[in-house]
Amino acid sequence: MDVTVIADSTDDGLTPVTAQLVGAATSIGGNPTVLCPGGVGASEAASISGVSKVISVEGDCFGTYEGGAWATALDSQATGDLVLAAASPRGRDIAASLAALRKIPIIQDATGLEVGLVVSRPIYSGKAMETSNVEGPCVITLRANAFDAAPDGGTSEVSTVNQSADVGLAVKEAIAKASERLDVTEADIIISGGRGMGEPSNFSHLNEVADMIGAAVGASRAAVDTWEEIPHSMQVGQTGKTVTPSLYIAVGISGAIQHLAGMKTSKYIVAINKDPDAPIFGVADYGIVATWEDALPALKTELAKL
Amino acid sequence: MRRGLLNASRVKRGGASWQRSFALRGRDRSDMAYEALDFYDIDALLTEEEKMVRDMVRDWVDKEVIPNIEDACRDGIFPDKWRVDLGEMGILGAPLKGYGCPGLSYIAYGLICQELERGDSGVRSFASVQGSLAMYPIWDFGSEEQKNHYLPRMASGELIGCFGLTEPDYGSNPGDMITRAEDKGDYYLLNGAKMWITNGTIADLAVVWAKLDGVIRGFIVEKDDPGFSAPEMTGKHSLKASVTSELVFQDCMIPKDRILPGVKGLKGPFSCLNNARYGISWGAVGAAQSCFNSTKEYALSRIQFGHPIASFQLIQNKLSWMLREITKAQLLAYHLGKKKDDGTWIPEHISLAKMNNVDIALEIARMSRDIHGANGILDEYPIMRHMANLESVKTYEGTHDIHNLILGRHITGIQSFTREP
Amino acid sequence: MAIGVLLKQVPDTTAKIGVSGGRVDESAVSKWSMSPYDEYALESALKLKESGGGDVVAITCGPARAGKMLTDAAAVGADTLMHVQIDSHDSIDSTQIQSILAAALERAGCNVVFCGKQAADTNGGSTGPGVAMLMGASCVSHVSEVSADAGGYLALRASSGGDERVHVSAPCVFAFDKGSEELRRPNVRGIMMAKKKVIETVSPEDLGVSMGESRVTVVSHSPPPEKPPGQKFEGADSVATVVSKLRDEANVI
Repeated sequence: MDVTVIADSTDDGLTPVTAQLVGAATSIGGNPTVLCPGGVGASEAASISGVSKVISVEGDCFGTYEGGAWATALDSQATGDLVLAAASPRGRDIAASLAALRKIPIIQDATGLEVGLVVSRPIYSGKAMETSNVEGPCVITLRANAFDAAPDGGTSEVSTVNQSADVGLAVKEAIAKASERLDVTEADIIISGGRGMGEPSNFSHLNEVADMIGAAVGASRAAVDTWEEIPHSMQVGQTGKTVTPSLYIAVGISGAIQHLAGMKTSKYIVAINKDPDAPIFGVADYGIVATWEDALPALKTELAKL
Repeated sequence: MRRGLLNASRVKRGGASWQRSFALRGRDRSDMAYEALDFYDIDALLTEEEKMVRDMVRDWVDKEVIPNIEDACRDGIFPDKWRVDLGEMGILGAPLKGYGCPGLSYIAYGLICQELERGDSGVRSFASVQGSLAMYPIWDFGSEEQKNHYLPRMASGELIGCFGLTEPDYGSNPGDMITRAEDKGDYYLLNGAKMWITNGTIADLAVVWAKLDGVIRGFIVEKDDPGFSAPEMTGKHSLKASVTSELVFQDCMIPKDRILPGVKGLKGPFSCLNNARYGISWGAVGAAQSCFNSTKEYALSRIQFGHPIASFQLIQNKLSWMLREITKAQLLAYHLGKKKDDGTWIPEHISLAKMNNVDIALEIARMSRDIHGANGILDEYPIMRHMANLESVKTYEGTHDIHNLILGRHITGIQSFTREP
Repeated sequence: MAIGVLLKQVPDTTAKIGVSGGRVDESAVSKWSMSPYDEYALESALKLKESGGGDVVAITCGPARAGKMLTDAAAVGADTLMHVQIDSHDSIDSTQIQSILAAALERAGCNVVFCGKQAADTNGGSTGPGVAMLMGASCVSHVSEVSADAGGYLALRASSGGDERVHVSAPCVFAFDKGSEELRRPNVRGIMMAKKKVIETVSPEDLGVSMGESRVTVVSHSPPPEKPPGQKFEGADSVATVVSKLRDEANVI
């Protein structure tokens, strides 16, 4: 079965998801052709094991991002009944445009793929799973890290195709990302500190971690009440914000019932506390008994490796 | 509760089966959002419009009142933004029709009160006083000029009103009020004092009841009228986010066109109070719902003796009692609202609902405090605030006991307010 | 000018989701709401109308319950309401829903369309780009602001390095992220007017869409997979283990 994989890339090259798309394709017996929009990451893609061929699709349209235009340019090179793309913002956008162009269905954000074609994905923000059967050609986007990546070691050939499409929009102004940090109620990852941080200035360590993973920084009421440098807007808990991020990292927070009330519905909770009996460990999926002075540098090192 | 280290290790030790099911249920605990207790599905009886108004106010309370109420109480202020928002939502003077007023049903007015008081009794008090006690008498007893002059701007929240009936020495017995008005030909001269006046200091106008030639009449006093002042009363342990004032009239001169032409005697203030008391019967339900929700949540997450306290029979008994009383109170308020809407009500119906619903709300607040243990006294939870507020609500707008006497008179035909026959 | 807004009614993001008999139990959903990104799309459409005139046409495709959401949209200012009634979203695939919405937009004469970047139930994100493709329109995704500009529109969208302002002409679709404008609250006057507003209820057939068979069949819904029990590790050396578990087991970083 021929499978078209649309490479997921940033300006710097492929993201790790591309190898996962290839891995998913081969796991169901597919023969993947990787399309690299704008030619980004073509040689990297060729070195992924199991890739049948790589097509570097180059054209003027790839100078400005417009999902519909990119999909139109990629369309002529897409072969087979299955197109896979990453469930990244651009991946979803291009995939949806391509599916509409080809008049075939799309399923976004799959976390499971089986021969048949049986596709599973989380719905309602992960409160339930859905399993569907797809007949005929389709486009599927896959969630990052949900599939095993194909290993390195491929030696497929790279061909280059010139194919462009009309772009309907023009970039007038680029605005650098504002440095202001997300509010805890908007963030998908939160790292919070409590009075165990010792000094308000030590929250800078939490900020550093937060910047690495796009997290918001929160605080317990104890921290907010003790240090005026920590504003009430950061407070998570009964009288602060109620949050339900995918990941909540509690550092130096003992876990008073009022704090737990504000964060216990987080999907995953990591607790870092030097007291092995701290109640926060009672709700943690992963507890680390350590001082923040030891744990945060290690955390930064590990996150940098991702 | 969510499955974590604590539970997992307990289950491994062969813990009781409830722990397992409890943990499973805990997977999808999205109950952080407010979900109103509605055991008998009163919702199904509401019109689409009533539900939309209710939801609008509910969202506003969640976004504006609950995050800010503790600060407002600590500072002892009614934030001006709330006045602006209430006006923008268009809910002031809810059941009044015409003159820029909303013209909603009494059920909708009740639902508004319920949601506001779920936030805080002080917010509901503001709306009650503005709508039922200040706008209503102008709407019902005012001249055409008075209605056109005041009501649109009061409905929009631009002008704040208050209501002066109670005096330092005359509370349950307003008929013996001391405040006097004299007809001076070109103007009226007011002398006397009113006390316990919600919104007094921040009000642009006061509807004041005073005796003119021995007959109780209503007057509209504006804040800049000579001889009028409204000093704030401080030191309250209750309704801290509500402004309470004295109204002082020292040779206060008001123009002749400020008397309410349409009513004489106690019927005037009492008809205002009927509407406000009706709103309170719903408001109390909101406060009770807030206490119940906090208590249920707390009891499910508080672990003692290795189990959530919600799993203990004494706690369940209390929660069950709360559910029972709130459900009854909701049915009372709803049915009374229907009677208000179709005009088949009598004042005694309102007395019963006000008295009962505030009574059970206060009892629920006290019981909630009990279940919250020491945590119940913290401002982390709304409990103690509701409890302290409800002590005022039990007393104002006709005390609990006065309402008993109103019902006693209704049952027996014998008034027992005074010793005179 | 007709400004189209595509809205979807979803279980409120705070509502519990229960599964019974292999299907999400919709009857147990305590509160249905307008999908949050759609609210920003609606707000921006209303702003555009206020600055340059036009009619905001709110369109939804969904079961009967979704009509209420259109009334909510009218309460904050939507002028025209169109409800394409279907039995359930489970029984139609993306090509069908996009055909329906494109046909509805054509009927309403909209060549500027606002929608959320994804709906809070499936979190897909296919509708905006898909409908744009069917309309022959440009789709600008991850938009937080739109204003009229020199015969077209200026949109602020997220890009890899920050934000960028792009110019686009009609026909175009704006798929909204969280917008930069605060959402307006309804008021009593709006609610009273919304109550009187007629919802044009049509079937896909009325729009000339022949539905055919869905090529995607939902086999089952299930509760999310059990998480492993809580695990506790000693010492900072365990951080590496925890990070790899967060990446591979929990899939959250």
